[in-house]
Amino acid sequence: MNNLVFLPILIPLLAGAITLALWRSSKWQKRVSVFATLLYLTASATLAWQVSQQGYIVLQVGGWQAPFGISLVADYLASIMVVVTGIVAFTAVLYSLVTTPNTHIKFGYFPLLHILLAGVSGAFLTGDLFNLFVWFEVMLLASFGLLTLGGERAQMEGAIKYVTINLFSSALFLSAIGILYGTVGTLNMADLAVKLQDVEQQGLLNAIALMFMVSFSIKAGAFPFFFWLPASYHTPIIAVSAVFAGLLTKVGVYALYRVFGLIFIGDINFTHQILLWMGVFTMLSGVLGAASQFEIRRILSFHIISQIGYMILALAIFTPLAIAGGVFYLFHHIIVKTNLFLISGMTHLLQNTYQLKSMGGLYRERPFLAALFLIPAMSLAGLPPLSGFFAKYLVIEAGIVSQQWLATGVALFVGLLTLYSMIKIWAEAFWKAKPETLSETVKLPLWGVVPIALMAIMTLIIGFAAEPFILLSQATAEQLLNPQSYINAVLGGQP
Amino acid sequence: MNIAWIIVLPLLGVIAPLLANPTRRNQVAWITAVLPFAALLITLYHAPAILAGEVVQQTWYWIPQIGLTLSFRMDGLALLFTLLILGIGLLIILYARYYLSSKDPMGRFYSYLILFMAAMLGIVNSGNLLQMWAFWELTSISSFLLIGFWSSTGKARKGARMALTITGAGGLALLAGILLIGKVVGSLELEAVLNSGRLLVEHQWYPVILALVLIGAFTKSAQFPFHFWLPHAMSAPTPVSAYLHSATMVKAGIFLLARMFPVLSGHDAWFVTVSLVGLATLLLGAYTALFKHDLKGLLAYSTISHLGLITLLLGMGTELAAVAALFHIVNHAVFKASLFMGVGIIDHETGTRDMRQINGLFKYMPHTAVLCIVAALSMAGVPLLNGFLSKEMFFAETLEQSAIGALSWLIPLLATIAGALSVAYSLRFIHDVFFNGEPKGLKKTPHEPPRYMRIPVEVLVALCILVGIFPALLVGDLLKSAGVAVLGGTLPYIPLYIWHGFNLPLLMSALALAGGIGIYARRKVLFQFQSHFKEVDANERFDAWLYQVITFIRRIEALIDKRSLQYYLAWLSVALLILLAAPLLNLSLVGDNVVITPLTAEVWAGTALIAIAALATVVNNRRRLFAALLISIVGLGVSLAFARFSAPDLALTQISVEVITTILLLLALFFLPQTTPKESKPGRLLRDIGLAGIFGGIMATLTYAMLTRPIETISDYFLANSKTGGGGTNVVNVILVDFRGFDTFGEITVLGIAALGIYKLTAGMRLFLPATNEDGLPWSRDKYPLILKQVSQSILPLALLISAYIFLRGHNLPGGGFIAGLITAIAIVQQYIGHGNDWIQKRFYANYVGFIAAGLSIALLTGLGSWLWQKPFLTSWFDYFTWPVFGKFELASAMLFDLGVYLTVVGAAMLILAKLGQLTVVEPYSEKED
Repeated sequence: MNNLVFLPILIPLLAGAITLALWRSSKWQKRVSVFATLLYLTASATLAWQVSQQGYIVLQVGGWQAPFGISLVADYLASIMVVVTGIVAFTAVLYSLVTTPNTHIKFGYFPLLHILLAGVSGAFLTGDLFNLFVWFEVMLLASFGLLTLGGERAQMEGAIKYVTINLFSSALFLSAIGILYGTVGTLNMADLAVKLQDVEQQGLLNAIALMFMVSFSIKAGAFPFFFWLPASYHTPIIAVSAVFAGLLTKVGVYALYRVFGLIFIGDINFTHQILLWMGVFTMLSGVLGAASQFEIRRILSFHIISQIGYMILALAIFTPLAIAGGVFYLFHHIIVKTNLFLISGMTHLLQNTYQLKSMGGLYRERPFLAALFLIPAMSLAGLPPLSGFFAKYLVIEAGIVSQQWLATGVALFVGLLTLYSMIKIWAEAFWKAKPETLSETVKLPLWGVVPIALMAIMTLIIGFAAEPFILLSQATAEQLLNPQSYINAVLGGQP
Repeated sequence: MNIAWIIVLPLLGVIAPLLANPTRRNQVAWITAVLPFAALLITLYHAPAILAGEVVQQTWYWIPQIGLTLSFRMDGLALLFTLLILGIGLLIILYARYYLSSKDPMGRFYSYLILFMAAMLGIVNSGNLLQMWAFWELTSISSFLLIGFWSSTGKARKGARMALTITGAGGLALLAGILLIGKVVGSLELEAVLNSGRLLVEHQWYPVILALVLIGAFTKSAQFPFHFWLPHAMSAPTPVSAYLHSATMVKAGIFLLARMFPVLSGHDAWFVTVSLVGLATLLLGAYTALFKHDLKGLLAYSTISHLGLITLLLGMGTELAAVAALFHIVNHAVFKASLFMGVGIIDHETGTRDMRQINGLFKYMPHTAVLCIVAALSMAGVPLLNGFLSKEMFFAETLEQSAIGALSWLIPLLATIAGALSVAYSLRFIHDVFFNGEPKGLKKTPHEPPRYMRIPVEVLVALCILVGIFPALLVGDLLKSAGVAVLGGTLPYIPLYIWHGFNLPLLMSALALAGGIGIYARRKVLFQFQSHFKEVDANERFDAWLYQVITFIRRIEALIDKRSLQYYLAWLSVALLILLAAPLLNLSLVGDNVVITPLTAEVWAGTALIAIAALATVVNNRRRLFAALLISIVGLGVSLAFARFSAPDLALTQISVEVITTILLLLALFFLPQTTPKESKPGRLLRDIGLAGIFGGIMATLTYAMLTRPIETISDYFLANSKTGGGGTNVVNVILVDFRGFDTFGEITVLGIAALGIYKLTAGMRLFLPATNEDGLPWSRDKYPLILKQVSQSILPLALLISAYIFLRGHNLPGGGFIAGLITAIAIVQQYIGHGNDWIQKRFYANYVGFIAAGLSIALLTGLGSWLWQKPFLTSWFDYFTWPVFGKFELASAMLFDLGVYLTVVGAAMLILAKLGQLTVVEPYSEKED
């Protein structure tokens, strides 16, 4: 029975309902949340294992055959993303146990987090374009709720920008769906992939494709649509920032991979060329933006953007090697970036600020935390043999093979600036002597450090034992670049 | 023993010093030294075979997919470097034991040092270029940690940061170069690359590859114009400088040049670039060193100069020059490491490194003085010392080369000048520090250092002398095997002896010696001359440059990011329009074979109504209440359009949504000013009108293009299967609750969270009720008019009945849970309007959150129910029953699902509306104030 595909959506939904019912007991909400995310992780790992055996697992919701009902499709890419989501969810919940203020829990922190997860999983697993829209809405509303928890002025300002721009993206997405449906008369992605092959009106299709591209690029935080991201990501509590930083933009990237890997591949000289430039400028603008920042969370936020650029670049190059690099980048980056945000939460706990200028002395005082910072930071900068190196390496190698000199050069250069940014944080927050204004140090909560250590270990594993992960990325790329297998899996071999 | 251990043992050794008891410093040092010592023994074990010309190799597959193997390979070149790295490294460990103060975390220091050592060993013993690069980067990071060891000083941090930035940039260039080499050769294995002959040199990418590799090497080896980071790296503890900046890290670039020499050098581009860069570095370093008052500064520039010399040798293209380069690598490492350690001792004992203060130390520490003087003389190239030999070879080769064509005669001349400068700064070091009067303003009286601190220096100085006297015996074989590795099979005869007879190189040496003494004697004139130039601090330069870049970025940021939402949206729209331009130009609008429905009068009228109302809303947008009313006309118009074009369900939904949203708008507007101030400047208005107009036009065009195309849709399937498969004749409803029930489920989740979000946002909010309206008129005292009360109350059962009716018939006729929910909500809201909040709350307690939770749970559980029958989520079930009184009727799981929808809609709508309605619990205040 293929209902297994539905579990990563069902579990967080149920967890959301249960924690909502336990509105008054933060203790029980925490217990349920830990259990639910662990269950989610188990279910998604099982799903991934099954997918690795079968290639695809498809569930036709309601028993309606595709393309008439809604299909849930787990392929390599989707199941990798769901597993990584599980990892982020579990660590974020552990981290939240001690760091989330009770006032936030009282106003629905955990239910919102679970619903957000449901939305993210739904977006990864759905095989239907309109259904993807629905999950985007679920994510948007839940993330808006999380963003405004606490209700501070800066949060509201950030949240309003966030929600308005994302609604713009949604409206565009919906219009694009409408026009696409009006053009080819179907919403199932596999069916769309089939039907679009026969459409002669390339002009109309390209216009629709661009509407999707812009809509997803807004979500992904790509150039020139990323303004909302640095305006809002640093405002909520750190566990929320970490989950957003890790997962949300990547859903946009995932949607780009889906739609421009499966559906709109008829005119890649046009569409993927635009993606290439978008990737290049996204890398550059993100990393340059970070260079002028001196607030840890804002630096990290800008680096989300620049790293998204690499993933889009990989999609744009559109060779098996490049896509493999992009996939590797996706899961490596989710873990690393989430972790960096979590670490910034710990440093905030110690020094009560996110401003680099007023931080310092952490290297002497907290050598262990310093080491934990170095792992994801150096991985983000792409130093061997950490996970980020392999991600960058694959993309750059793909760029060289397909002779995209400019893009490859920019990718290397951005790597250097990323390293510089991480050094900036290291030199200011860790190396610099501790400012005298800082009072006595606090004890770090165990459950704040454990998730960080777990993720750091994962980064090390992905780096030092990179081979299976590279193989996995290559298999994923191969599957992604073979739309016919997807089509056959979903439509059951029928045209 | 496997040669991999030579790298692995030190790598394991990184942990060793951390395990030792940090208070027992001897123990820490011993534990640290054990593993590198073992590695040295393994190296010596393999040495005979390698000296005999063997290449020891060990390969494992690591990540073959990207051409990455774990591959260790030791040939003569690698052996030479390995001996230097381990030998000097061990001496440094001993030295550092006495150098570090008890306040410094010794374990951490050793740990970084060993990490660095392992990385260096990795570079020189790698059999795979990519692996070599990985170790290359590791040296950058570990040296970063070492240079910044005293991180609480700003100088150390900046020096470390600059070193890493420069070498990191070079590293990335090198990576690109290596990848290109891999593409050309088809393998990243060193063996394959070295055996590729002239493949690389003749390839069209050769200039790019060469440039990238050279950037990597020059940045690492501090060659002009990348030399400036090295002097600032002197803020490292002196053992680090002695190790990194004499013997190892800066030699990594040289090593790379030597390693790639067989496959990259056979081209004019190589000779010209490498020799000129080397020459420039040689002169610049030697000249600048003369003016440094800081002892370590002098040594740093001297190092730059000697590295330039080696680079120049590698760029000259004669075979003997390459061997001379290898020889000088060894000699320089030996004398420079000992000098650095000597300077460290002096610094340690006097508390300063300023040569203007330190004078006449010979009296206080004669033993150390002798050691330093011998090493310095070797640096100056005085006979009987090792520095002399390689310098003689260098001079000899400058006469043989033709690297820069017709101008090649300049090289011996400039080399002699550089030699003279080198003699001059060495003399300055000797004379200023150890003689030249008495020390000035020292805080303590200098004396000899601890016995063991001197041992490493003694060992190295002994080597200087021994190699200087018995060169062939001590290093002959080593140089030969290394030379074979660099030059390939053919090796020229290496003239390794002290006396070559009276020849030109000897004359050049004599000239250099005399010139050096002359320069030093007349140094006042030179210092005077130099003082006219402003000294440039690379750190400040670097910072200033950074600052400029950041300011520039900020300026661009300020230009494009106005931090205003309106601006963002305008920007988004413009970007979208630009992107859409290309495909739109390609769009053909000719609809073939599509019959266009004729326009009738009522369609015209309806369209005009909607358009005019929409325009009127925009025009009147600052009168908020009026605009809200106008926009509801648009909504009503749309629902009429739905009804006209045979979509009764949509019409019903639209009209009830319209009512709810209008109430919502009014509730929200109540708390806001009645009018909006005029904010937009005319220019902006024009921009926005333009944008909106174009945008609307494009959407209309796209829609038209879409509508005038013939299509086959999946909707025929829905029409055909609605009754038989979904058990309902209302296809829209069956789509909502069955075919695409999953979407509906997602959407009611959205609705539920939206309601909770608004509830949460307004929780705890207290808003004051203004006493009067905008025009100063007080509110009516009769808040709840009797007629309204009565009517609302009597409407309630009726409305609920309609709602139930709509709900029940939904599956077969227009209606359904969503619409029914909205109708119920409207009926309840009517009671709030008629009676007020307090009245309702006394009579009717409703937990709207509970409604939402129940609704979502019912929908979810209905979906899950199908699992009991082993069916996919949300598989529907229906059947027909006959009961006596009711007659035949249908039961469907979809109705249960629809009930969930209904409850969620009621709960969500009411949660929002009731909450907004309750915001003004605080009594009007202004009457008292007035």
